[in-house]
Amino acid sequence: MSSLHTERQIRPIYDALDSGSHKSALVACNKLLKKHPKNDHLKALKALALTRAQKFEEAIVLCEEVLSTRPTDDGTMNALMHALRHLGRFADLVKLFEDAFKQQPENDEFGRQAFFANVRMGNWKAAQQLANKLNKQFHNDRYVFWGIMCTVLQANDPMTAAEMRNILLKLAHRLITASWKQGEVHPDRLHLHTTILQQLGLHKDARELLDTESGRLLCARNISCDYLRREIMKAGGWQSEEGITAEERVVEKRDRNWLEFVSILDATFLPSADHQLIQLDPLQRVAKTRDLFTKIAEEDGSHDRSAWLGLMELERLCIVREVPSDPSRLLNLLKRYFEIFGDKAACYEDLRPYSDLYSEVLSDWIKFLEGITHIPSSGASLRRSLNAHKLLRYGLSAAQLTVEQESVRAAGLEREYFDALPLGKDIPNLELQPADDLAILAAQVHVNMYALDNAVAHLHNAVVLLEYASKKSPQSYQIHLELVRIYRRLGAPQLALDHYRLLNVKQVQNDTMSHLILSRATNFSLAATGDLAYASQCLEASHIYFSNSQDTSEFIVKAFGTEKYSQIPELVVFEERLDNSLQRDLVKIEHVRLRISHEQITSELVDMELIELKFIFDRLHHDNRDLEVLPNYQPRGQPSFLSQTTLFGNEPAAGWLSIFLKIYIKALSGASDLDLSVEDDKLLVGDRPRPRSNPDAKISLTDRLTVQTADELSELTDDEVALFHYVVELTKWLDPFHNFLRPRVEAAKQPPKSSNSANDGVSENGHGRKPDDTPHITEPPDSILSYFKNARARFTKVVEETRPIYEILHIATLAQEALFLFFVCTKRFKDASVVRINKLGVLVQHIKSLRASVIDIVREIGTQLTKISELEGTADKRRQFVEHCKALQTHSELTHEYVLDVGKRVTDSQKKVLEGVGSGIVRVCKTPM
Amino acid sequence: MCCTAQHPSGRLMGYVIGKAEGSPHDFHGHVTALTVAPDYRRLSLARTLMNFLETVSDDVYGGLFVDLYVRCTNSIAIDLYEGLGYSVYRRVREYYGSLGLGPGGKDEEDAFDMRKPLSRDPYRRSVRPNGRDMIVSAHDVS
Repeated sequence: MSSLHTERQIRPIYDALDSGSHKSALVACNKLLKKHPKNDHLKALKALALTRAQKFEEAIVLCEEVLSTRPTDDGTMNALMHALRHLGRFADLVKLFEDAFKQQPENDEFGRQAFFANVRMGNWKAAQQLANKLNKQFHNDRYVFWGIMCTVLQANDPMTAAEMRNILLKLAHRLITASWKQGEVHPDRLHLHTTILQQLGLHKDARELLDTESGRLLCARNISCDYLRREIMKAGGWQSEEGITAEERVVEKRDRNWLEFVSILDATFLPSADHQLIQLDPLQRVAKTRDLFTKIAEEDGSHDRSAWLGLMELERLCIVREVPSDPSRLLNLLKRYFEIFGDKAACYEDLRPYSDLYSEVLSDWIKFLEGITHIPSSGASLRRSLNAHKLLRYGLSAAQLTVEQESVRAAGLEREYFDALPLGKDIPNLELQPADDLAILAAQVHVNMYALDNAVAHLHNAVVLLEYASKKSPQSYQIHLELVRIYRRLGAPQLALDHYRLLNVKQVQNDTMSHLILSRATNFSLAATGDLAYASQCLEASHIYFSNSQDTSEFIVKAFGTEKYSQIPELVVFEERLDNSLQRDLVKIEHVRLRISHEQITSELVDMELIELKFIFDRLHHDNRDLEVLPNYQPRGQPSFLSQTTLFGNEPAAGWLSIFLKIYIKALSGASDLDLSVEDDKLLVGDRPRPRSNPDAKISLTDRLTVQTADELSELTDDEVALFHYVVELTKWLDPFHNFLRPRVEAAKQPPKSSNSANDGVSENGHGRKPDDTPHITEPPDSILSYFKNARARFTKVVEETRPIYEILHIATLAQEALFLFFVCTKRFKDASVVRINKLGVLVQHIKSLRASVIDIVREIGTQLTKISELEGTADKRRQFVEHCKALQTHSELTHEYVLDVGKRVTDSQKKVLEGVGSGIVRVCKTPM
Repeated sequence: MCCTAQHPSGRLMGYVIGKAEGSPHDFHGHVTALTVAPDYRRLSLARTLMNFLETVSDDVYGGLFVDLYVRCTNSIAIDLYEGLGYSVYRRVREYYGSLGLGPGGKDEEDAFDMRKPLSRDPYRRSVRPNGRDMIVSAHDVS
């Protein structure tokens, strides 16, 4: 590629790639490759174009071809780097640059890139060694710090043994002490140095370091350093001195950082004997701090809440630390606070933790709140009224929560909502309506009434009001979220999804929020009829995990480049938490459940999903789900709005995931030719995930699949538990035949056999098997058919009892899933020649007759469901809906037509899901795979 | 730079994201984003966060001024920034162009580039009084 001639020809390929036209880039590559078939640069560009066109398999082959030539020219390396990054093949990236650096050790760019490639992989040890090499070769301070950072990261890696951790930290300490320059001006280097001392417990050294002139200057300028300084002061037991510093900052510099107030409070309640104010007893110390805060609070007035909050926190800590204080003091503070800050939206959240500390003054507090007038004449008076409503509701006792009393409250809130709406008529539509919270509160009251008497009318009232409020305030995520939850409860999944999509969930919110719509998504999906709304929502929610593995590692690389050491550990934790997110795999399993209901069950599907689920099985998960994002205004001690709208009373978590993984790994491995005991499967795209230090992982996978704990099962509904037992029975019956027919694993790949392997006795079969060795054919256990019979009985029962739609769907969709799993487990025996050669005719007869009976039962459920759906979405149902919301129609804004329209959409959505699931089941029964 | 404001309960109340940019003769702080959650409005949080960003731009980076872009329709934000000492330096056409014309017309997709001089610019050379009439196209700004 030296001639200018070819470079001119290559330009258009770059242009095509830049402008996103992968096809023309590919055509151009192919054309030039005909003339220059050995040109690596062209091959690398072609690989890049292929990855962009999502043709990963071809791209991988080409990448490997170029890699094997150990290229060193910039063009080839660059193109290959982009292609490998896109493919997630970071291990190859490491090889590429390490090879190049070895060939040209004077090229620091190759060295840096090799370092970065290791950083992307989280290979801290290798990265540290490269940083050392770079420093020796090119003498640059930054390489020293890179190496030290990597040593610290290696020490804190979950895979590093405890004793090794200390050795590594000591090494980092030695390195940083050796290279530390007096008067270092880089805040992040100071941060790194202090962190090492902190982690080694050398608090005194850390304090001295921060106390140097440059240390003090950097702490004053840099929040991260100052934050670390606070931690050191606390860990070193210097709270008393920190308290004095904080007081100076608050009084002299008028610093109103809440952390300063916390420091003063920490010092006040310090039990240790070396307190500088030792001459004062605890009571006097509290009094002193109280005087200080009172003085500041009075000075600040309504300008700043810190000192006021500090005073209340002081009273709370008095209770915790058993320092006597007069309850009326807190009561007066609460009242003063409400008077001064009652018109701030944050007032409710500020006061809630203090409002019920003393039961003896609670009634006075409630009386005070009841005295607040609720005439929303301005934004400020509306917010004051809202705060009073929320605090009053928080303080309600169980005895005050009857349906009658709640319904009076709901009506009052609704009236106030419509009265307050005009206050926001001129507000730009990007802003929230000031009256929103009244509707949100009223809806929660309705949901609470539903929790009390199970009358669906309450939910109907809630959605009519919220739908109206969401039109008025389209940006209110809280209203959308409430609707999502209530629609799920009503069995109107399409409407729930519509509102969820209006939230425009982005980036990492997909991880923290998608549980609100996607938990047990299979319950509501119409995938079997080809409606992939929920399936595609699963895919959309999962995108963040792929972009995380590419983007976050790039951010880490960037942070090294700009020496932002204080941010690197946080980014590493972020990447790890997202990579091993519980929600990630809950969504994954939902997607697999949906996938088998609408796709042909091919061996590619089976193998790919099996490989992935096996990886997931060994993950140690982080639960990143945000449970606070949904507002909760239910009284203290009562179930939250979130739990009131959680289906089946429990939310799937790690235990649920574990059981469903077992279900699917068992079933899919039956249909797959991959041997469960072989764990070195090759992933198509990306590297093999890093092994986790799961202590159970030493036991073989086959054995781990057979264990289940009561804790795990407690996260399942009874019907899901039944499905699990059904799969256990089904696979127990068929596994000997699967193992017999599965091609034998090549000897080289066979891992050392554990003595308790469940495969014993059958793993010797395979290629060398003789038909005479066919395992003894038994009749199917009765439990398989009885699972379906029980499901039908359960279904009939919930229908007769007119249980909520989501419960009816639950039994039906699980029965359908059981049928699909039956298809998966028996797929192998559809091949007539295999059956004949291996003399499995009798087994196939058993399967056939069982399948016919099973299909009959499931079809019956489907037909029933279709019948039930005919009763929904009728004029009668709509009339009922409107009747339920009669009280709401006293507000002129909620006309009969409006309520009817909402009612129509709700009942239509309910009808659609029942009808869809029903016809999906019938369709599947007609064309069994 | 990113700085968040947290409630004592741990909830996030708001954040400011900014960066230092520009060549030596117009080195300045830039506000990438400023957000305060609805529940924590009217507590002077925006002012606190902006003060912090200005202090960092001034003391740490020695910038001449701080600048930011704001949608011309966003009167609430414009009032806030004017209250903090910012003034319009120029109007940038179709800065938010990808969204197309909304109900606010041109004001919806145009941005004001607002600036506030810092201590290194005592003669206030980085601002001008008639900024609203200075119109540039989105291509002219980076």
